[in-house]
Amino acid sequence: MTTPIKRYSPFGEIEEVGEGLFRLNVGPQHPISGQGRFIVLTDGERVFDIEVDIGYSHRGIEKILEYKTFVQGIVPVERMVMLDTSNILMGYVGAIEKVMDIEPPPRANYIRTIIMEMNRIVSHLYALGLLSESAAWNPAVFLWTTADREPFLDLLEMLTGARWSYSFFVPGGVRADIPRGFIERLKATLDWFEKRIEVYEEAWIYNELFRMRTEGMGVVSRQNAIEWGLAGPNLRASGVPYDTRKNEPYAAYGELDFKIVTHTAGDSYARGWARVEEMKVSIDIIRQAIDNMPDGPVRVRMPPRPKPGEALFRVETGRGEMNVYIVSDGKEKPYRIKISPASFRNFYTIEMLPKTQEILLADVPVLIYSFDPWFLDADR
Amino acid sequence: MIDALISFVNENLGVLFVIAIFPGLAFILGFVIFAVWYQRKYLARLMIRMGPVHCGGRMGWLQLIADAMKLVAKELIFPRAANKTLFLFASVVLPVIPAAMIALIPFAPGLIIYDAAGVSLLVFFAISTLFPVVSVIRGWAANNKFTIIGAFRNIYLDIAGEIPVFLASVGVMIWAGTYDLNEIVLKQASMWFIVPQFLGFIVFFIGFLAMIEKVPFDIPTAETELIYGPNTEYSGAMFLNMMEADYINLLAWTLLMITLYFGGYNGPPIFADPVLNGVFWILLKLIIAITIIFTITISYARLRIDQAVKMGWNYLLPLSILNILLTLAMKFYLGGV
Repeated sequence: MTTPIKRYSPFGEIEEVGEGLFRLNVGPQHPISGQGRFIVLTDGERVFDIEVDIGYSHRGIEKILEYKTFVQGIVPVERMVMLDTSNILMGYVGAIEKVMDIEPPPRANYIRTIIMEMNRIVSHLYALGLLSESAAWNPAVFLWTTADREPFLDLLEMLTGARWSYSFFVPGGVRADIPRGFIERLKATLDWFEKRIEVYEEAWIYNELFRMRTEGMGVVSRQNAIEWGLAGPNLRASGVPYDTRKNEPYAAYGELDFKIVTHTAGDSYARGWARVEEMKVSIDIIRQAIDNMPDGPVRVRMPPRPKPGEALFRVETGRGEMNVYIVSDGKEKPYRIKISPASFRNFYTIEMLPKTQEILLADVPVLIYSFDPWFLDADR
Repeated sequence: MIDALISFVNENLGVLFVIAIFPGLAFILGFVIFAVWYQRKYLARLMIRMGPVHCGGRMGWLQLIADAMKLVAKELIFPRAANKTLFLFASVVLPVIPAAMIALIPFAPGLIIYDAAGVSLLVFFAISTLFPVVSVIRGWAANNKFTIIGAFRNIYLDIAGEIPVFLASVGVMIWAGTYDLNEIVLKQASMWFIVPQFLGFIVFFIGFLAMIEKVPFDIPTAETELIYGPNTEYSGAMFLNMMEADYINLLAWTLLMITLYFGGYNGPPIFADPVLNGVFWILLKLIIAITIIFTITISYARLRIDQAVKMGWNYLLPLSILNILLTLAMKFYLGGV
């Protein structure tokens, strides 16, 4: 005798979904789970519910920041997304600049933009590799993308001194100016990378079996994407032209001309493809930033402590919009910092999807990785 | 006693060589070691990396021996709720089934382990049907959700793949007019059967990929969903047996494909040289075939189980029946070989 299995409906009511179902623990020790757990309610092939269990890598970063001065806080904040550190750091540094009421010099803004877009390319390459790897155990594309990140990491090392976690942005500007020979190397790398994107499209994005697996699967409608608070390339793949770089410009984005990548399908394929197109846009932004870069200092002096007040700063990270909210009581340490990352909202959409459409067990990894989830980001 | 044994060995030296050395036990195990090593090094090249380099010099040829020794030395772990007898039984029996299929393949004129009296192709398929049965036993005995899902997927896939494969080879049987693999090889001396049976070969090859459970049909052991499918709970030497079973299965079906469509141990018809006919050609064809299969495994995404089953029943089955009708018509008007 089996007891009926229940789940929460999209409207929060308890509903029965059938008998003889069982729950699969996908994670935390599973090839695809990452640092979290997905509890999948299934009858063997059909999936009725996915519960996302986050919190395995909670480090209390928000609380840590209350015990650090504003500059010391740079290092823990970067640990939220190691792939995408400068975009994450921009949110923190931008919020401090707002609460201290200082303006970075224009050259620093352009250097920040170049670094952030290179970081976005690195982050999207990793996401695309994982998406391919989840559609099959096909490490070829994953290793290609991993290898193709290296030239960008080398360039970032030349510029900042580190491959990861650069700590390069400080309140009031950046730590150093661009070294000699950097611009030429960057231009050559971008030319080479444009050709590599064409190779990806031929070998993999247009691959028939990959399209069979991802097209029409995990569809998020425009309405649902807005209601569930989806973020970043996932939101734009559902047809919502929202990009913080455009809607609320920061750094040098307001002075550059670029387009917002949108797709209308809203399925896993559109989400993967949107990332490829965004890498092309990033190349375009870097080229414009190189051409328009003004001369001048790269850093202004930061006051030792801010006036009492509060500030909210939005930033478009690789995974979507992140909000950083700072409350200052006039001391050298912040009174409270609240970070609202993009991955947390993307996980919510993963929970909601099986309740609105039929998906199979084989779709679960593709579904999860098409949203580019990042547990460390959601856990903080 | 010992004298009797020595005289028995002396009298049956040929038979014992065939069973124990080539193409018997030593060859099969040697192929498994070679195939795993070759897969690692070849795929590493395609993925812009090196593959094993630490054990046995740059080519890493000792790596597989080291891995096997490590696995054999490990503890055998039985899950608490598992049916231990069946769990162990499946791991021991599973590699034997594809190895028994290899016994029917002719490697050279007269070099065959078991000559099944003119029906060896039918015996091959009869033995191959045991594979999903034991696969379900291993999945059920482990008493794990992942293994049981993998085992049922194995049944779906094998039924969807094996019937088109069998019907495609019926085309070869009709064209050659025999059930015997040795006879089929002899009839390909002037022309390989891939030419008259091209449609059948396409059906056979897609079904064949499902039978060997490689990408895009590695659905039962789908690593991203089911960890290692029915083999998830196996450890140590039992895990080694499961790996062996996979690769021996690959060897058996690849040899069948070569025998049915690529002339078996015959050289290419234009260079038909009686000195070279035999073991050299079948091994060369084997290496080319597994190179193509390994290339396919990293070029494509995995199909879903419903897509694979739909492909088997909706496309491969009608095509294989069409192939039989075409073969009958060709045989009627052209007279066959």
